[in-house]
Amino acid sequence: MYRLTLKEYKDLFNKLYTSLCLFANKYLEDIEVSKDIVQDVFIKIWVNKIEFQNENNIKSYLYTSVKNKSLDYLKSKRVKTTDHLPTLEIEKIETEAYFLREVVVVETSTIIEEAINTLPDRCAQVIRLSIKEFTNSQIAEELSISINTVKAQKKIAYRKLRPLLKDYFILIAFIFD
Amino acid sequence: MTSKFNKVVELSKKIAQALLNDESPKSLESSDLFNQSDKDYILDQLTNEESIKERIELANTINETADWKSLKTKIDVPVRKLYWKYAAAASVLILVSLTIFLNKENSIQLDESIITNINIEPGTDKATLTLDDGSQIALEKGESLQTQNANSNGEEIIYKANQSNTKEVAYNYLTIPRGGQFFIKLSDGTQVWLNSESKLKYPINFISGKTREVELVYGEAYFDVSHSTYHNGDKFKVINKNQEIEVLGTEFNVKAYKEENNISTTLVQGKVTVSNAFYKQDLVPNQQAKIDLTTNRMIVNTVDIYDEISWKNGIFSFKGKSLKDIMKVISRWYDIDVVFENKELESITFKGVLGKDQNMEEILLTIKTLSIIKNYEINNKTIILK
Repeated sequence: MYRLTLKEYKDLFNKLYTSLCLFANKYLEDIEVSKDIVQDVFIKIWVNKIEFQNENNIKSYLYTSVKNKSLDYLKSKRVKTTDHLPTLEIEKIETEAYFLREVVVVETSTIIEEAINTLPDRCAQVIRLSIKEFTNSQIAEELSISINTVKAQKKIAYRKLRPLLKDYFILIAFIFD
Repeated sequence: MTSKFNKVVELSKKIAQALLNDESPKSLESSDLFNQSDKDYILDQLTNEESIKERIELANTINETADWKSLKTKIDVPVRKLYWKYAAAASVLILVSLTIFLNKENSIQLDESIITNINIEPGTDKATLTLDDGSQIALEKGESLQTQNANSNGEEIIYKANQSNTKEVAYNYLTIPRGGQFFIKLSDGTQVWLNSESKLKYPINFISGKTREVELVYGEAYFDVSHSTYHNGDKFKVINKNQEIEVLGTEFNVKAYKEENNISTTLVQGKVTVSNAFYKQDLVPNQQAKIDLTTNRMIVNTVDIYDEISWKNGIFSFKGKSLKDIMKVISRWYDIDVVFENKELESITFKGVLGKDQNMEEILLTIKTLSIIKNYEINNKTIILK
């Protein structure tokens, strides 16, 4: 088991804080409460000196804790006020399937964002549109460039992204950084 | 839960990769973790303009730096005792596992490792040169050598270009011990990188008008062959007792270790023909011909070139290799013996990249911290994995 150093703890925060807030917001639909809950989870790791086995183990712990705390919050709010989610809705968001699908959305979109941010501007614009399922000719029209330029930019992007995606484990390796 | 979680993290990487490459995310379509409506939802969230915009705008309202500052005041950081061994592990950037296929639900306490005597160093450039009269010369860093035909600075050996009208063929041998590697440039300009525990037989000069032949007696070598057009069309052949490789000019890797039951030839560039007594096969780049030495059968597969030749570039890169195979490579480079006390460990597979200059103990500590092994013992040049 492994306890994080302060530097690793900070790296972990920088790496996952925003993703976890977006994830919590899928339960809470309130970004301010989401931030508080994610911070509480982070504080608990440090104050209670929680230890981990490996990277995936930390991620799993964080997502699960944020989910549990979010659901607790919703339930307590339901008791206190009349402004609450219908029972059906709560039952739906309590399922494992809901949890897993939101993890996939936030994890995937984070990787995509980080990858696109490493690209030069024009390349990034082309790839952003391509992800939104624009065809080459639609991209060309949208950006007022030729189809050949679109193709060329895509090629540049793939070349630049290849090593990044191939060795994506570098990004997850913060613990041993 | 943990195992499903790891699966969705893996799946996320694959989906991201597909979408960035403008491909449809097949791994999502075929996933059994979600029903169709969840799959549609995920794809929509990732590709729908409104959903993306909404997420980015929301992310922009989060001020990470400010929130970290406020969090830091709440955790009141005490002075912590940093265990040296964890500090050592933390400094190991290199051995990283993305996919630890191992998935232990139960936590494992790190036991103290027993280290009786550390006498393990990474390999270096060294070799033994055997001349045609049978005399032997040790080549290592700091020892330079000049013969009539070759120069060496102890880290590589360069043969002088073919002298005209050679009729007699005289052979030299270069033997690389465990814990060694060496670079040689032959008299025709062909460059060869030799890995640990390898032996190459080659002529001092090649005879014009005849096929240029060298023999990889055993071990692993990467060849960058000088093209036939520079040698009046003379072909180049790499012979081994179990196979022959015929080339014009190209780059490829041959692995024919003594204790292994197969030979692999991996083509990086150009074209080669690999043959044994029963089969003859042309390879195109990225293909690997593997001959099983018990059946003599040859199988051709497409492989990851980067992994196959990483050793030549100063690293070892493994993807989905078993711990047993990884340890085989490591034991040759560090000149150690590895004993699996727990046989189950042999078949654990994982990904990792390892610098060839890395300290052995760091490597062991990392795989222990990752819970791949429970503990290890170092006794002189033997490592016991538990």
